[in-house]
Amino acid sequence: MRSPQFSSFVILVVLLAVFAVADGNFLSPLNISNMMAFLPELGIIALGMTLLLTAGEFDLSVGAVFALAPVVVMLLAQNAGVDIGVALLVGLLLCIAIGAINGVIVTKIGISSFLVTLSMLLIVRGAALYITQGFPLKSWDQPGFFVTLLAGSVNIGSFRFYTSLWWFIALSLLAVYVLRYAKLGNWISAIGSNRNAAVARGVPADAVKIWLFIATSVLAGLAGMISAFRISAASPVAGTGYELEVIAMVVVGGTALTGGRGTILGTIVGALMLRTIRNGIVLVGVPGLAYNIFVGVIILAMLILHALLQKNAARS
Amino acid sequence: MMQEVLRLQNLQKSFGSVRALKNASLTLSEGEVVALLGDNGAGKSTLIKAISGVFPIDRGDVYVRGEKVSIRSTREAMDLGIETIHQDTSLAPDLSIARNLFLGREPVNLKWLGVFAPLDLAKLRDAASTLLKRVGISKKLDADALVSTLSGGERQSIAISRAMQFAAKVIILDEPTNNLGVEETHGVLRFVKEMREAGHSVLLITHNIHHVFEVADRIVVMRRGEIVAEQTVADTDLLTVESLITGADMSALMKRAQ
Repeated sequence: MRSPQFSSFVILVVLLAVFAVADGNFLSPLNISNMMAFLPELGIIALGMTLLLTAGEFDLSVGAVFALAPVVVMLLAQNAGVDIGVALLVGLLLCIAIGAINGVIVTKIGISSFLVTLSMLLIVRGAALYITQGFPLKSWDQPGFFVTLLAGSVNIGSFRFYTSLWWFIALSLLAVYVLRYAKLGNWISAIGSNRNAAVARGVPADAVKIWLFIATSVLAGLAGMISAFRISAASPVAGTGYELEVIAMVVVGGTALTGGRGTILGTIVGALMLRTIRNGIVLVGVPGLAYNIFVGVIILAMLILHALLQKNAARS
Repeated sequence: MMQEVLRLQNLQKSFGSVRALKNASLTLSEGEVVALLGDNGAGKSTLIKAISGVFPIDRGDVYVRGEKVSIRSTREAMDLGIETIHQDTSLAPDLSIARNLFLGREPVNLKWLGVFAPLDLAKLRDAASTLLKRVGISKKLDADALVSTLSGGERQSIAISRAMQFAAKVIILDEPTNNLGVEETHGVLRFVKEMREAGHSVLLITHNIHHVFEVADRIVVMRRGEIVAEQTVADTDLLTVESLITGADMSALMKRAQ
């Protein structure tokens, strides 16, 4: 009951109630559909980030990968005439390469992931800007199998659901399974909790971390593709600042920044919470420019709450 | 003569220009507790890290039950029956006792799924409870409790019982009584005796000579990367051992040289 994800959940419910009372449109089908369209894009990245943070590392390059992957895919498809399926495969390989480079430098050379992925952020964002010359690409409005797969939508009553929501749900279930029930999850938590102990038991800590960097990068690229297909365009500046928003979602949900303790359910609550705040405070009339003040205050309040709960738990 | 379990022959290891191990040879027999003594920097840690597969040795041979082996990873050491309990670093505090006991050797269903195989949680819990009961700490400890909620002595007990459970031939204890209270220390020493009775060989690294006389059969002293003395506990006394460690008493050294 005192778990961080539970307290986050309670606060999420309170926030939902406050916004619902403050603005009648908050729970309207249109608004819920909108929130559910945005939610998976950051949420999918947050799933990878949760696993990575649990293993004691994090990745600041996700926002840049979110932009570069669709930019490369669309450039290949639009300008080079490459088949969209092949272009997507190239994008996937690119994400794998970025994650692998992050992971190998962090584990084999031993530089902190903060510095490695900060450099990678600049390289990847710079690459996206350079190859597009800073301009958003022409809009992509050719429907097809992949567009339907990533950004299709269905109307149920007056609600509109994007396929990205199903991706998010499926990936969430997979992440919950991996972290809580699979052998791999035991290793991930052990590595983040005490790397030396894990290594002494024969856990391949470096390999696990490298694969988690790859998974996070691939998920960021996937989220970028979903977003680009949904709005039918790729922009080199998409996803700017997403890395911090994603990390905020993860820690608000109760995952420890220091590793060892991760919760996917908490991350889902955290993603919903930040989404709700972003949406709700605009609806209740807070000026858009003041948005970050609220987000910052709420994140800080959540973290203080988690810290106090933990102190209490330690005492009792 | 008891059967030889582990034999190290002329192990050498350098880190850059520092020769951490010069020519270390050592044997360990079944059901024997050998204490490895030496000042800081004498090479004790290097020696045990080499045996437990933390890093490879430069030169020299390792024999397990008379068979020559090469230990390239901690996993290989474990598979050969060598379990090491490192100082304070053997357990993951954010994991439950049960999960720690089986870390790296998790019982799983659907084995073909590899690292994605689901943990056999029922088996994990049962085995952990059985183990805790066997080592006599089940009354206090729940297999699902997080290790971070345990005391230092309890953690050491968990780490030791884990090593015993996997029927290790050789158990290496690196400063097992560091930072422990009096009662907890006695608990750990009792464990060492139990391990010997159960037929395990124990290599005990410690700074506390009193503990050595309480549990060890034989004493090996290291200084500057070399093994400088080897004596059975029955044939020596505290003062002699102390002077061997510091190198103050040259007559003892000379005796060994002959």
